[in-house]
Amino acid sequence: MNAQRKANGFGNRFLMGLVFFFLYAPIFILIIFSFNAGTSSSVWRGFSLNWYHALLNNRLILTSVYTTLMVSLLATVIATVAGTFAAIGFYSMRRRSRDALMAVNNIPMMNADIVTGVSLCLLFVVFFNGWESFATWLNGVQSAVTLPTRLSLGFGTMLIAHVCFNIPYVILAVGPKLRQMDRNLIDAAQDLGCTWMQAFWKVVIPEIKPGIVSGALTAFTMSVDDFIISYFTAGSSTSTLAMTIYGMTKKRVSPQINAVSTLLFVTVLLLLVIINVRESQQQKRVVRGAVKVTAPKKPGRTVVLLRRVAAGALACVLAVVLIVTGQAAAARPVVNVCSWGEYIDEDLIAEFEETTGIAVNYQTVESNEALYSLIEMGGADFDVIVPSDYMIARLISEGMLAELDFDNIPNYVLIDDNYKGLNYDPQNKYTVPYAWGTLGIIYNTTMVDEEITSWDAMFDPKYAGQVLMINNSRDALAAALLDLGYSINTTDESELQEAFRRLRQAKDQGVYQAFVMDQVFQKMEGGNAAIAMYYAGDYLTMLENNEDLAFVIPDEGSNWFVDAMCVLKSAQHKAEAEAWINFIASTSSSLANMDYIWYASPNTEALAEYPDYYLELYEEELDPELYEIMAAPSEVLERCEIYEDLPKATLALYNDLWNQLGI
Amino acid sequence: MKNKLSRFAVPYVVWMAIFVVAPIVIMVLYAFASRDGGFTLENFAKLGSFAGVFARSFELALIATAVCLLIGYPVSYYMSREGASFQRMAMVLIMLPMWMNFLLRTYSWITILDNNGLLNQLFAKIGLIALYNRLTGSDLTYFPMMNTQGAVVLGMVYNYLPFMILPIYSVIVKLDGSLLEAARDLGANTATVFRKVILPLSLPGVLSGITMVFVPSVSTFAISQMLGGGTELLLGDLIERQFLGGSYNPQLGAAISLVMMVIVVVCMLVMNRFGEGEEQAVML
Repeated sequence: MNAQRKANGFGNRFLMGLVFFFLYAPIFILIIFSFNAGTSSSVWRGFSLNWYHALLNNRLILTSVYTTLMVSLLATVIATVAGTFAAIGFYSMRRRSRDALMAVNNIPMMNADIVTGVSLCLLFVVFFNGWESFATWLNGVQSAVTLPTRLSLGFGTMLIAHVCFNIPYVILAVGPKLRQMDRNLIDAAQDLGCTWMQAFWKVVIPEIKPGIVSGALTAFTMSVDDFIISYFTAGSSTSTLAMTIYGMTKKRVSPQINAVSTLLFVTVLLLLVIINVRESQQQKRVVRGAVKVTAPKKPGRTVVLLRRVAAGALACVLAVVLIVTGQAAAARPVVNVCSWGEYIDEDLIAEFEETTGIAVNYQTVESNEALYSLIEMGGADFDVIVPSDYMIARLISEGMLAELDFDNIPNYVLIDDNYKGLNYDPQNKYTVPYAWGTLGIIYNTTMVDEEITSWDAMFDPKYAGQVLMINNSRDALAAALLDLGYSINTTDESELQEAFRRLRQAKDQGVYQAFVMDQVFQKMEGGNAAIAMYYAGDYLTMLENNEDLAFVIPDEGSNWFVDAMCVLKSAQHKAEAEAWINFIASTSSSLANMDYIWYASPNTEALAEYPDYYLELYEEELDPELYEIMAAPSEVLERCEIYEDLPKATLALYNDLWNQLGI
Repeated sequence: MKNKLSRFAVPYVVWMAIFVVAPIVIMVLYAFASRDGGFTLENFAKLGSFAGVFARSFELALIATAVCLLIGYPVSYYMSREGASFQRMAMVLIMLPMWMNFLLRTYSWITILDNNGLLNQLFAKIGLIALYNRLTGSDLTYFPMMNTQGAVVLGMVYNYLPFMILPIYSVIVKLDGSLLEAARDLGANTATVFRKVILPLSLPGVLSGITMVFVPSVSTFAISQMLGGGTELLLGDLIERQFLGGSYNPQLGAAISLVMMVIVVVCMLVMNRFGEGEEQAVML
């Protein structure tokens, strides 16, 4: 048939070539930069394989890959089987019922991922609450069977969610094949003596096999790539690769991710090439007629039996391995921590796990508001969280934090008094400070003519297209409020509206290149923007990669903040949580952390000893100016305000203004 | 036997009731609830102020779909005219990017398009920017490609192009060659054969492709977050803000999601009117 069609001219081939180049250019860049010696994704610093080495030691990424494969394979298998049977069921129904059910079936595909994810999360939460009441009642009424009262999101709920959005794809792939199938085949088979079951297995299934295979492949692809539905249904202890990458794209994608993606890409490429080579070889043999096409030899009875026994044994082994590893994981003590991105020296996690034997599930979240919404929705089962001052105040007022047992946290005495008894936790019942710092303006001295000294720079049309505004409502409105001379904790609606108008006007004038949180790292380091506002410790990290950057706390003043560790009231692992907090508060951990994240610790000894620690470690003196940025002296702090939690009406106004700003 | 077979669907119907219908019901309940739990219509009232966001999202999604169709249809058609081994290899090459993480591929575009990214560095080195400045009298040091609506459309086209190519290709390739022969025998030249035989018959594939590109484009937020800069929100961004912080308001988020779902369903229904018949194109 193809022989009848005109062959393609050069122009057509060129177009196809261009499209393929377009599809692959970003992938090649990803692969190339996996061999980059530096940390950046856009600045080439030489060839190196160290990211591949680091990848093999990176437990988080390897666990993510394992989880991804597990959930995707299981979901694909379940969805393919269930979807095939469902498609067959639909095929046999009356037209009207089939259309109605197919419409419902298509809903997960039509719905936005985020809507599916959130609605499933809400469904699970509602179910868990109901289960808790039911189990408590049942346990109280009889003692023969004790049900666990608290269920939480985890691998199981994520698997259900994946199956849920995979099945429609399978049905959509198998359905057409069923319709194309000649119904007379089944009748013919039965006429020839097959039972109904035999006709099903020997006639129907082989006919629709291409549809089943294509459905399974589609389901697997969708499952592997999904991040948002997994994010909402996986809970705090499970993470797929896509979820890990999603967290990273919000700040800085470690080249280790490039490395793992390159490896996956090469693996899939090899698999597909092998499959295709085999297929083409088989076709070539048939075409050449060198091999007579005979019916494949039927394997003997024993062989068939052996194959089935082997398949069954393999399935059993797989099941046992899953159950055992699941149990092992459950038996080991564990603590679920949620903090910010690039906010801990990961060696500390390993050290803690080794010395105490408690496994750490470390997750990050983008902002205080995102953390709050996770906790509010009920989908988070974190033990330790590290919110900022004003969010802690809100959580305490809503009764969501547990009081700490300071007998389990002896290192608390090492915390400097300056960071105790602050407005968010005046009686020090709920928190242990983790780090503190200041908010300021970061700018590239080679891209800006003058020294920046005022918040005006964040609103000045002179810098149009070069300014990065921060992407959370509190800090953004604070910049405007400070520029206008108001308090960052004002509840006066007219002042807030004025601040909003300042932001809105600047945005309409094209001052802002983008609203960013941790994306600011890559943008400022790469010289893609001139001015940004962000936190002192992060500036010092950026400085490591771009020496042209400067930091300033403007004349009008700024915000200083404390991030503190606290334990959720609903935490399941309180003792382990307090052990973690105690470990972090120790001087040695504080020093290591300070060195890695460039944020000042509240630990008195660590603050005093850090310059010497730095000298010993790097054999050069710590620049006192840098140290001042890291641990701002009291004169600077006096110009700064700490955030307070705002009343509900003001918060509602903040939300509204923030929505309006983006329109 | 038909009745027996239809019983196979029962477990799935039960599943759908729990995991597809129930979450939607919960969404509806949330959409009509106020922060304190009572019944209210204020969430839908607020939607009026977001009309611009709706319009922008649908506009960009339509542009992305149109671009995908303009590029994807010719590519599918030319692919179907090549030899069998080329077609096999081409299928592999088109499917392969879908296996690389979608976020990562979009993230790569930031590296390429950024103000000081690879493309701009290349343009500066070969003097393209200087040439442009001389021709138009402007004073650029780079071409602003990132954080624009164009970049968002580019991201959408890049990610969803395979979803347009594959369904169209799978339909065109299965076209009965004898139909084409018959058309030629009746005197049609290549263009007429294309217009009157291939184009109408490939419509199921086109519709399938449009669906698979339009729906995710309307609701994406990762692409617009990474490439769009967040200065002009799309629907997905807006919904994400309501659920994941920034402006935590799940009731409003549910209302927006519901309206978006209804609009998309209506669009799909309208489109299916154009493609009668049960022939749905499969993706692979």
